[in-house]
Amino acid sequence: MALAPLDDTITLAQLTTDPYPIYRRLRAQSPVLRVASAQRTFLTTAELTKQVKDAPDLFSSNDPNTPMKPAFRAHTLMRKDGEEHMRERKAMMPALTPKKINTDWGPLYQELAEEYVGRLPRGETVDLFTDLCGPLAARILANVLGIPEASDAEMQRWSQHLIDGAGNFGWKPEPFAISDKANDEMDALFAELREKRIAQPDGSAYSVMLTAEDPIPMSQIWANIKIAIGGGINEPRDALATILYGLLTNPDQLAQVRAQEAWGKAFEEGVRWVAPIQASSRLVTEDTELGGFEIPKGDTVMTIQASANRDESLYENGEDYIVFRDKNPHQAFGNGPHHCAGAHIARRTVGKIILPLLFDRFPDMRLPDPSQVLWRGFGFRGPINLPVTLN
Amino acid sequence: MVKVTYIAHDGSQTDIDADEGDTVMHAAVSQDVDGIVGECGGAMMCATCHCYVDAAWADRVGTRDRSEEDMLDGAASEVTERSRLSCQIKLTSDLDGLVVHLPEEQF
Repeated sequence: MALAPLDDTITLAQLTTDPYPIYRRLRAQSPVLRVASAQRTFLTTAELTKQVKDAPDLFSSNDPNTPMKPAFRAHTLMRKDGEEHMRERKAMMPALTPKKINTDWGPLYQELAEEYVGRLPRGETVDLFTDLCGPLAARILANVLGIPEASDAEMQRWSQHLIDGAGNFGWKPEPFAISDKANDEMDALFAELREKRIAQPDGSAYSVMLTAEDPIPMSQIWANIKIAIGGGINEPRDALATILYGLLTNPDQLAQVRAQEAWGKAFEEGVRWVAPIQASSRLVTEDTELGGFEIPKGDTVMTIQASANRDESLYENGEDYIVFRDKNPHQAFGNGPHHCAGAHIARRTVGKIILPLLFDRFPDMRLPDPSQVLWRGFGFRGPINLPVTLN
Repeated sequence: MVKVTYIAHDGSQTDIDADEGDTVMHAAVSQDVDGIVGECGGAMMCATCHCYVDAAWADRVGTRDRSEEDMLDGAASEVTERSRLSCQIKLTSDLDGLVVHLPEEQF
């Protein structure tokens, strides 16, 4: 068996600007491809990405040499496997389950969404990306995690600085200096809030982890909260902006969604169409085979969920935003043990609360010029602006 | 082959033939049965493959362990004594003809 073909033409800049035409070509021609610029083996069909995520022993999340470690000042659960990962994840899960989200926290999310949507000025053109999607995602997350004392600006800044540090594959000192400062600020806040969350348990992630019968070490409790900050703002923010774009550029579908209150479907289609987390890496632990090619131990494969979600074998017109699909078995939240822990919160807050609220308040909301909306990102992707006229 | 019947919340029924050794979740997902999502692929991380084992089959299906209890506790729909995560029910020849009922929602 041969190694997968090697590509030295695809650049990271191309992938950041618009990866979708490239992925489409790869699905048809080279679904297993070693991409020199990314130093990864790209897997672009739904079957291959799922196969990898469902076999965590063979395709490990564990990467002891990731820049994530200095960026988070911890070896976090994102980069662990098996029992170790399970224990740290389960410590936080009681705060993130569907029941908890729907029953206990629903009213708070509703209140926060009303407050933030209520602040938007009627009759004006507003960048919803900066004025709603980011701040509201930050506020909801701060509450879920049990650190509502952090401001929206702090939450968003910390998140971005953690992400920038974690993506610092060139190991330059500046991004780590910036993430170090964010870590100092977060550590100081966590230390300050600790006694309070123990004395008055509130069901938040921090409180649940601190008051558990057999708690995980404090260093990992803090690491878990940081992972949630790094991985819990961009995604709902970008999902919301993407779905709004999808609905506002497809008025017929929007009308149908409103008539049927199919906001959940609009949400699922949005995260399928442009998955906020587009790609993930896994380390190969044994020589193996994927799609007819030899995959050697030590190789790093990259599952491209963004591409799997448009796979022609599962979706007709997968490049388009089409809410009313028969089936939508997307992989936007991943599969396997690392399945997105925030999936239920995202579905609830973005899909069931924010979207209907926003269209109820501004029924004639429109996107004056869709060509003004800029999309960016290879690892994480979404619009980076969303100028909408609110009426 | 093991026959499994899934009865949706609205009463509609789907019968499938599954492989022995497969799980009730995976058999449903691979044969497009609505009402079981199983998003995490059976890692007990998502609580979206919740089902109610039909009373007639309760004894044969076995019991849920602590991890399953913990995850089920957070399921979207009501959890009863017959609730299981269908990813944790492995199909054996003893379960030929198994009937499970599906909850109103999985998330």
